[in-house]
Amino acid sequence: MSAPESESMPRATPGIRLASCAADIVEIAALHGRAPELENIAGARGLDLPVLGRVAVASGQLALGVRPARWLLLAPPAHSGATAARWQAACGRAGAAVDLSSGLAVWRLAGPQVRDALARACRLDLDPQVFPAGSAAATVMAQVAVILAVLPSGLLLLTPTSTARHLRAWLASTAKPFGLVSEADVTVGVLSGDQAT
Amino acid sequence: MRAPGRIARGLLTDPDRPVGFRFDGRSMQGLTGDTLAAALLANGQRLVARSFKYHRPRGIVTAGPEEPCALVDVIGVSGREPNRLATTLLLHEGLVAESQNRWPSLRFDVLALNDLMARFLPAGFYYKTFMAPGWAWERLYEPLIRRAAGLGRLEAIVGDHAAPAETVHDHADVLVVGAGTAGLTAAHRLGTSGLKVMLTEQDVVLGGGSLLDARWSAWRESVCTGLAGLATVRCLPRTTVLGAYGHGVFGALETLSPPEAARFGGLRERLRIIRARRVVFATGALERLIAFPGNDLPGVMLAGAAHQYLRRYGVAVGRRPVFFLNSDEAYEAVFALSGAGIECVVIDVRDSSLAAERARALGVEVHGGAVVEGAYGRDGVRTVRVVDVTGRARRELAADCLLMSGGHSPATTLASQLGARLTWQEAIAAFTADLAPVIGQMAGAARGVFGLAAAARDGESAARTLAAQLVRPVGAAYPGVDLPPDADVTPIAALWEVRGPAKAFVDLQNDVTTADVRLSFREGYEHVEHMKRFTTHGMATDQGRIGGLVGSAVLAQARGVPLWQVGQTRPRPFAQPVPFAALAGGEVREHYRPKRRLPLHDWHEAAGATFVSTGLWLRPLVYSHRQGWEAVLNEARAVRRSVGITDVSSLGKIDVQGPDAARFLDFIYANSFSTLAVGRARYGIMLREDGMLLDDGTTSRLAPEHFLVTTTTANAAATLEHMEFHLQAVWPQFQVLLTDVGDQWAQFAVAGPRSREVVAAVVAGLELSNEAFPFMAASVATIAGVAGRVFRISFSGELAYELAVPARHALAVWSAVLEAGKPFGIAPYGLDALNTLRIEKGHVTAAELNGNTSADDLGMQRMLKKHDDFIGRALAQRPGLAAPERLQLVGVRPLARAHRLRNGLQLVAPEARTTSLGYVTSSTPSVESDGWVGLALVAGGRRRLGQRLIGTSPVHDEAIEIEIVSPHMLDPENLRVRA
Repeated sequence: MSAPESESMPRATPGIRLASCAADIVEIAALHGRAPELENIAGARGLDLPVLGRVAVASGQLALGVRPARWLLLAPPAHSGATAARWQAACGRAGAAVDLSSGLAVWRLAGPQVRDALARACRLDLDPQVFPAGSAAATVMAQVAVILAVLPSGLLLLTPTSTARHLRAWLASTAKPFGLVSEADVTVGVLSGDQAT
Repeated sequence: MRAPGRIARGLLTDPDRPVGFRFDGRSMQGLTGDTLAAALLANGQRLVARSFKYHRPRGIVTAGPEEPCALVDVIGVSGREPNRLATTLLLHEGLVAESQNRWPSLRFDVLALNDLMARFLPAGFYYKTFMAPGWAWERLYEPLIRRAAGLGRLEAIVGDHAAPAETVHDHADVLVVGAGTAGLTAAHRLGTSGLKVMLTEQDVVLGGGSLLDARWSAWRESVCTGLAGLATVRCLPRTTVLGAYGHGVFGALETLSPPEAARFGGLRERLRIIRARRVVFATGALERLIAFPGNDLPGVMLAGAAHQYLRRYGVAVGRRPVFFLNSDEAYEAVFALSGAGIECVVIDVRDSSLAAERARALGVEVHGGAVVEGAYGRDGVRTVRVVDVTGRARRELAADCLLMSGGHSPATTLASQLGARLTWQEAIAAFTADLAPVIGQMAGAARGVFGLAAAARDGESAARTLAAQLVRPVGAAYPGVDLPPDADVTPIAALWEVRGPAKAFVDLQNDVTTADVRLSFREGYEHVEHMKRFTTHGMATDQGRIGGLVGSAVLAQARGVPLWQVGQTRPRPFAQPVPFAALAGGEVREHYRPKRRLPLHDWHEAAGATFVSTGLWLRPLVYSHRQGWEAVLNEARAVRRSVGITDVSSLGKIDVQGPDAARFLDFIYANSFSTLAVGRARYGIMLREDGMLLDDGTTSRLAPEHFLVTTTTANAAATLEHMEFHLQAVWPQFQVLLTDVGDQWAQFAVAGPRSREVVAAVVAGLELSNEAFPFMAASVATIAGVAGRVFRISFSGELAYELAVPARHALAVWSAVLEAGKPFGIAPYGLDALNTLRIEKGHVTAAELNGNTSADDLGMQRMLKKHDDFIGRALAQRPGLAAPERLQLVGVRPLARAHRLRNGLQLVAPEARTTSLGYVTSSTPSVESDGWVGLALVAGGRRRLGQRLIGTSPVHDEAIEIEIVSPHMLDPENLRVRA
């Protein structure tokens, strides 16, 4: 009576594909009690800000909600600081926008064994039943802060730039049995599902 | 070549695939699928170990992880690994194992003399015997005792040879621990209910007790096939749950099968951290030993173990076994061995029983109402003395093994870790655990329900209860196969001990005897936990699995109380020894802790920087790989004479915005920021609640409601946490937003008398004259085409600017500055030169902001606001914090220019050289003057300016004369920074 096989069975083909994404990242934050105003402001600009723990996709942009009354917005790269300045102006007296384009590295992880590899460090249950498409969360992996979000094209991972290389090295060695390949960079458009991969 | 003990085909062994191995230098052959213990028994090797204290000969006692005696060293590529259990160690070609705790050999062990001296070595003997002289305990007695006692020796297994391991996080609705008939049934039922189930089994195969009964193979096949077809069920054989930590968190250790280990690059173990909403403990029951004289001789084994060796490996543990038992369950072994053609004799303490009748019908010789008085033989059992329970009729039986069973105790360790209360069950003479329903269920033998079919039904009932709790319809039963019925049984008759003149062991691994337990009682250690600590009963790596309750029973008898009043010792994680490598998992070597790299890390590396770890950061120390101060002084000299550039991107940076930003900073900082004009920066200090200094740095006002706070590299995270805490918990009504922008901004200091010319060449749209952009000015600007910020702040004591740009543009801007500085001989400088410059100037860093210094200590008393409130104000006013004899910041110089200073050098008065007046916190050779300079914290330091003290470092055998000077050793009027 052989036991049913372990699901973490490595394969010959790459189980994980990693692509970097160049994006303008802006964190918008609402002042105490003024989140609804900020939601209206974003809504008027075609972006429905998601509730906590969700990622929203709209017109080539992404918005992640992993902190109360704060959202991370990902947009295609524009002139240095221009996206942040636009949002800073839009926020008015309701909140503030801070440019984090250089502060966070953005990766997309795709492939059949992404969850198996991340389970080596991630305490969150990434089972689609529990963490379905559209979910977002902030956590710690390999002692490094990460933000995860499930997009149709794969798993989005954001991590501080100063430790990104450390996390990348950890991922490379951890994912070795599953096969890890680097792919060409993707755009925010691809992440948001507007363009085909 | 057939091993003498191999009499049948085993369930797990492959007769066509022999495996060669060595034990204590002797080559032997086993079969694929064997454990080392099975192969040793097949080869007739009964003596496998020497005991912990008395060095008595020991053999294999069990067939599983509960083994107390058969611990061996395994010699592999990673060195010598001690204390591996022969009963779980799978045989592989070329395995080399050695016995432990013997010299010169297993058969002839010098320290077996201990056994003859046993009356002088009772429990606790060393605390009483080795009392004087006091110095001798640490230097003489303890090292000797440690050498004489103990099992395997740990060799450092380091470097690349350490066994690789990893940690995996798992999640399930229900964790089912144990895959016997109860666990398999529960997992199947829960799985068909649509619940996500994780089924762990410590054995290499699923089935538990059903593996030993051929009638159950069809049922087992059917359920395992059913489980394999359920997508929501994961079965993990070779996985032992080691700890239950509450809130549904469990730790488990998986030993990888050889093929999986190969796929994972030689990975041996996997620590699984399992989070589950509910748990089913279907952990079965453990057979107990009986304490009788000679119960540790090689050849004395648990009856169930003999059964397992026969069924699983086709190995007969002996040809003339005598069974000593007290329950019908133990007869299963008798039936199996006798069915294999082995002539068995049974000694049953009960006068009669249903199982005894069945055995007699099969022609087995059964002596009812009798006990074993002792087992005898030199290095193994040869004769067994049997006595009538009345004590009259004695007889001696020839035997080559004695298979004992004192009954079965439900495995309640994990439940107890979760706080489950134990209840005595007279019917099975054992404790069961009452698990809270919100945690989960006990099932099968773990709940005291013996019999394979009864356990299966119990597993089903546990599954029903949980499915109802988790609001799921109960799934379908596995199709087709009926449960083979359990036989009717006569109840157990509790039997713990047969008293006699020779040693009878309750803990075989720690050599604890029944006499030790009684001694413990006589000495006043009556509580079971005290008895445990006095005798070490149950403290060995097997945690007293097979004898724990027997020790309690002996104690109960000594105290004259029922066993349930004595209870059992409390088990704690880990339920089984775990290698440290498995706990460390993947977080070793380069993954031991994260490294933070500067945006220009690669540039610094290419420029020949030597890196230094400061906190998590890797920072350039000096742009040279050569030893010595020359390169450092050259870098610092360039700054003093012309211009230099250094990467200060590791500074903490916190963006502060909102209508209450200025008010908030006034509370956070000890000095005032609401008065700071837009476009200006100010040096600030913050205190902790207790009034001590927390951090310092410059904060700039970029707009009326927008500030940028910089912190020291070392305190960046703590400062942000401090600010967030006060914003969220103390003043939640404040309209302020804090954002960590530390990684967003790269920041470079351009310092030196020529820095203005260099900065002017790369900055557009900003007038840099002293009038337009004075010392402590701050502004947004375009730097080398990039939108950034310029601050006129100085840490070096020279005219200096800090340029900040988003990190992704760091290389372009840094390169542009270097290009612009070429005519002035600009050079990058590292952390050492930065320290040289700031020490000369008297600026403090983490060495002085060490958590023990107050503002007054560092000469910053006047910065504290006089009227308004701020964090730490009340406690900073404690008179003691401004006492004149506190350690105060001063500068120090050796009188002789040739003498060097050291950080940590103690400062003493020439006439009182053993009383420390303070110590050197920072030191450097100077570029401004000859010789070394340093900063120090000295008692009443400000009164001592000009005094001469001795700087002494006894560990370096150094004592030099030093002079106390002002910490502002360079440009005290601040003319240079304002130039």
